[in-house]
Amino acid sequence: MTQRKKWAAIPGFFLVAAVAAGLSAYSGATAREADAAQAPAAGNKFAYPQFSGLSGTNLDGVRNNTEAMALPKIKGDSGLKLDPAKGPWAYSGASSPQNYSPEQPVKFPHPQHVQKLGMNCTYCHNAAGKAQDPGLPSVASCMGCHALVATGKPEIKKLAAYYAKGQPVPWQRMHKVPEYVHFPHSRHANGGVTCQTCHGEVQKMTQVFQYSSLNMGWCVNCHIERKARYDCSTCHY
Amino acid sequence: MSTESGATGVKRRDFLKILGVTTAATAATGCSTDHVRKLIPYVANPDNTVAGVSNYFSSTCRECATSCGILVETRDGRAIKIEGNPNAELNRGALCAKGQSALQGLYNPDRFRQPMARKNGQLTPITWDEAMQTLATKLGEVRSKGQANSAVFINQHEIGSFPAFLDSWLNDYGMPPHISYDADAPSSAIAANKAAYGVAWPALDFDAASLIVSFGADFLDGWGPSTPLQLAWADARAKIEGAPRAIYIGARRSLTGLNADSWIACKPGAELAIIQFLRGTKSVAEAAAAADVSVATLEGLKKEITEAKRSLLLAGGTGVDSAQVAVEVSEYNKGLGNVGITIKPASPLGIYERLDPTVAVYNVADRMNAGAVPVLFVRGANPVHTLPRSVKFAEGMAKVGFKVSFTNVPDETTELADLILPDHHSLESWGDAEPTANTLHLQQPAMEPVFNSRATADVLIEAAKKDTTLASKYAMTDYRSWLVARFPGGQTAQTLALAKGVATASSLRAAERATGDFTRKPVAGFTGTGDFHLVINSSPTLGTGAGANKPWLMELPDPVSKIAWQSWVEMHPMACKKLGLVRGDLVTIETTAGKVTLPVYNYLGIRPDTIAVSLGLGHKSQTGKTFDTDGDRKIPYYTGYGRYADGVGINAVTLVSGDIDAVSGGIAYTSMKAKVTKTGENTDLITTEGSARQHSRGIGQATTLAALVAGRTAKDGEHGATAPAEHGAAAAEGGHDLGPKEWGGNEHEFVGGAPSDFLPGLKSPVANDAQGALGTQDSKAKGMYSEQHWSGMAKRRWAMTIDLSRCTGCSACVTACYSENNIPTVGASWQGRALSPTVWDTRPGANIIKGREMAWIRLERYFEGADDSENIFDPGFDTRFVPMMCQHCGNAPCEPVCPVYATYHSPDGLNVQVYNRCVGTRYCSNNCPYKVRYYNWFGYGEPGRRQYAFPEPMQMQLNPDVTVRGKGVMEKCTFCVQRIREAETRADLEHRPLQGDEFTTACAQACPSKAITFGDAADPAWTVAKQVEDERAYHVFEVLNTYTAVVYLKKINHTVEA
Repeated sequence: MTQRKKWAAIPGFFLVAAVAAGLSAYSGATAREADAAQAPAAGNKFAYPQFSGLSGTNLDGVRNNTEAMALPKIKGDSGLKLDPAKGPWAYSGASSPQNYSPEQPVKFPHPQHVQKLGMNCTYCHNAAGKAQDPGLPSVASCMGCHALVATGKPEIKKLAAYYAKGQPVPWQRMHKVPEYVHFPHSRHANGGVTCQTCHGEVQKMTQVFQYSSLNMGWCVNCHIERKARYDCSTCHY
Repeated sequence: MSTESGATGVKRRDFLKILGVTTAATAATGCSTDHVRKLIPYVANPDNTVAGVSNYFSSTCRECATSCGILVETRDGRAIKIEGNPNAELNRGALCAKGQSALQGLYNPDRFRQPMARKNGQLTPITWDEAMQTLATKLGEVRSKGQANSAVFINQHEIGSFPAFLDSWLNDYGMPPHISYDADAPSSAIAANKAAYGVAWPALDFDAASLIVSFGADFLDGWGPSTPLQLAWADARAKIEGAPRAIYIGARRSLTGLNADSWIACKPGAELAIIQFLRGTKSVAEAAAAADVSVATLEGLKKEITEAKRSLLLAGGTGVDSAQVAVEVSEYNKGLGNVGITIKPASPLGIYERLDPTVAVYNVADRMNAGAVPVLFVRGANPVHTLPRSVKFAEGMAKVGFKVSFTNVPDETTELADLILPDHHSLESWGDAEPTANTLHLQQPAMEPVFNSRATADVLIEAAKKDTTLASKYAMTDYRSWLVARFPGGQTAQTLALAKGVATASSLRAAERATGDFTRKPVAGFTGTGDFHLVINSSPTLGTGAGANKPWLMELPDPVSKIAWQSWVEMHPMACKKLGLVRGDLVTIETTAGKVTLPVYNYLGIRPDTIAVSLGLGHKSQTGKTFDTDGDRKIPYYTGYGRYADGVGINAVTLVSGDIDAVSGGIAYTSMKAKVTKTGENTDLITTEGSARQHSRGIGQATTLAALVAGRTAKDGEHGATAPAEHGAAAAEGGHDLGPKEWGGNEHEFVGGAPSDFLPGLKSPVANDAQGALGTQDSKAKGMYSEQHWSGMAKRRWAMTIDLSRCTGCSACVTACYSENNIPTVGASWQGRALSPTVWDTRPGANIIKGREMAWIRLERYFEGADDSENIFDPGFDTRFVPMMCQHCGNAPCEPVCPVYATYHSPDGLNVQVYNRCVGTRYCSNNCPYKVRYYNWFGYGEPGRRQYAFPEPMQMQLNPDVTVRGKGVMEKCTFCVQRIREAETRADLEHRPLQGDEFTTACAQACPSKAITFGDAADPAWTVAKQVEDERAYHVFEVLNTYTAVVYLKKINHTVEA
């Protein structure tokens, strides 16, 4: 290759890189993710179910006498037109957004179970210490108590109805890292990272919201802080 | 699964009631992520199941009658991978490509989704109630009309209790015993074994032999129990010293022939003359003339056999007299005293027990054509496709009053049926097999049925229950309970045995059917006229056609020709030159039976007077119809053999006249003369073969025992001169293997060049050292690659050794890699590129023609010798098989050229591809000397894209631990990083360090030759740490200073001592 041709190739490279970046779902996603994190609040175009002022007794009449955590507002987006039902992370390559707090089909009150009844996180999310996925309690697990306890409450009636039909509860998914990220819960739970480190004080959240950004920078900072390996293939494969 | 029976698919406990359980949790299952916005819990958690953690179910492989033990990995209720069961003595954890592809039979998108019946000439979906009613009515009719004894049941040959169960059921209805049909069976060897040893298949001990002579017995190409034979072969050959020498006799050098040390290229059909010469009933001159080989060759062969301490002679051709050859070879073995030592009739294998010769199906066709068959049952077998056209099986079927098929995928036979009762896939059903005496391999369902199918055994039981006279005899709930009842120790013992998958017990045995009813007159010699003998060989992966609906097998290049998604004709370069043909030229091949047009593949390993065509392809709908079904869901319903096989290649059996081998009753495939005519057209060969020659690059290196010993002596003599000694030894053998010095280069001229004394092992394949002069003391001491780094990331060195003296080129590793790493197949007809906005390249394999194949590991095959093949026929060439995957270079050429840092060297020795960083410039691929990086030209992993590689329900096979790559992303071998991370996590949870050989990669796990070893080369507890220091170790292209983490061990050629 002559010297001249080399120079001529450089604009070509930029063109290729720009086209590739434009086409690549992943690179586009990274851009969106960055936008979502940095752009100033400019009107919330995502139709996320917003915090509906849960407090006091509005959860099935159970008096929430613990300190309720204030639900922060979701940071503004960059005006992307995405299907709100799918959330902004559906195949976009981004993690689910910080402070996301969807309304659940059964309004499960974590404070009631954790703070009042003293149940451990892993009582229900029993695989958190032994698998990639923390695990969700089966409907039968819920009914283990609720066949007898608080059967009159409207939310429990909803739960019982699901159980009677043999249907699972269609929980809204909140926390989600992109497909190309592998996050083994077990490794973290056994490594001394508490649930609250990433998920916030769920025991105080009447309606759970996403506490952490789940951005890569957030992951890596913690890995460096805790002297865990942090090269790409730790999580990306 | 040891829960209640899933036999009828409805009454079972709610195991996996929600198949999509925790779809969200296992996000990377490759389903559209658009669906992943719910977290669906179990209604009731099944026992011993943790979401996201694999469960392994032991079962038995049913892809061929060998019946290897398998472990089915299931995740959240779906089978995602099949591996060999290490508890099974038969296959010791190994599994061939066919066995692993059973997963794609399970998730085949063309499977029947419910029973069907012919209404107004059209197959129409019906309910099981209707189907069972129709069956019961027909069975009653047949019996009341007194036609039962003329009914025919053809079952795909299998072993275990089912054949006996089926015979007893048929007997209860007054029907004759079923015909067990295996189109792939080596009938000549079976007949000879029965005649000589009284068993269908004696155990063969390669290890005890010092010489193996094969008369066309392609034991590495699927002849007989292929995985056990390959294991035995590799173990014997890996001994280095005292390993048996192998000689192959035949007109075409098959995969077995390529692995043998010598090839005696006799004329097709002349094997009889050779064995008669060896036994002294024919003179050497006569035999040499008949076989068209030199007298010296035959004398040498005789000398070797008589001088060998212990030999093993095998015969397995498919000519008109092949069984006679096999019988003579058996007698010769007896005379040589091999029986009981290398051939062990006392410990027979079950594989061909109760197998009927193919002629039995011929006879059925004759009877059908005579209108003498009132009802025909077919299960699994596909005689319309696998029998020669002269047999007129399809025509006969038209004259049968009622045809019932139990096959669960559409095929040429099933589409002519009147009633289709789709059987469960073997991974959904219960069963057993007795592959060796008194060893029972148990078969259990690994998951809930994917579709609305029913196990045939259960259908038979249910039908009998409807019959008042039989109901009392068939009181068992289902076939599973019948199996449990006859298992020694009953339910408890069976449940315990299922954990291992193997038990000491016997299956029920069916009485052998009376055979010998060979009504067809055998012919002698070759039929027809023409310049060429036609050899028709069975494909090692596709068999006689059963593999063609599985894209993994279609995409797997033929081990010999490296051609996929295509039929081809093998011709010697001399013959090509004579006819003026070049590679890819289309020729017409005409025999008395048929005529086909095929592209030419010029192959060194075939006699110039012979051409060869492989079986396995050419599936074609008989009716030419497709139709929709499943209610309002429009699913194109495939006839023929489904969307992957449809219209690909030609069926070589159409070239066969249909003559049979008079002794064995098998089809005489190699009995035709063929005319070859040039058409003047040329087509692209769909091949992954670049050059068949190494061009002195030393990719696949070989040595001889003598050279090895000489190297050792040199090493002892002059200490410190290891590298030159190695190169000297290599160069001594043909001079093809040039090291840095011989190539004329000086390694210190390379930028960043490190000292070359790390060769041959892995003394310094570290990115840290690969920084060479460019790295500062500080960067080396404190960087990520330093063992002193605070993260401890660099304390491991993942590495792999591949022993080329074991590798046979079978390609099972390739399929294992596809399965483990969610590699899309790219050759289907809808996966081609756009030629214009509206026109697509719909040729099968179109992407591969463009060089866009995706296999992360490929089997390279190189020839050495026979250089002037256009003018001289030289059978003395050597073949090197080299599994080639990412070499995980310590000093990787791909890394510095990536503009976005998407590929880098991990501190534990992996060359990592970060999909989410990749923008698809493909610079890395261009700079890779090993050409092991593959680019997603299309959205193979993205549902909704035209080229989507996982049509529903095939997406269920995807491994949730591995990212499904999107369009525009580069990918390559990861050393199964997901397995590394999983093992690390597991060790971490158990508060222990990783143990030596604790886990391995998918390719190493599957390898039926145990050629691949993976592990941590920095930890002496791993086998690989010793292997990298082996005297035969070398790196491919070590002259490039890439410091590869893959170390090859040279092949050993066993030449005759001069």
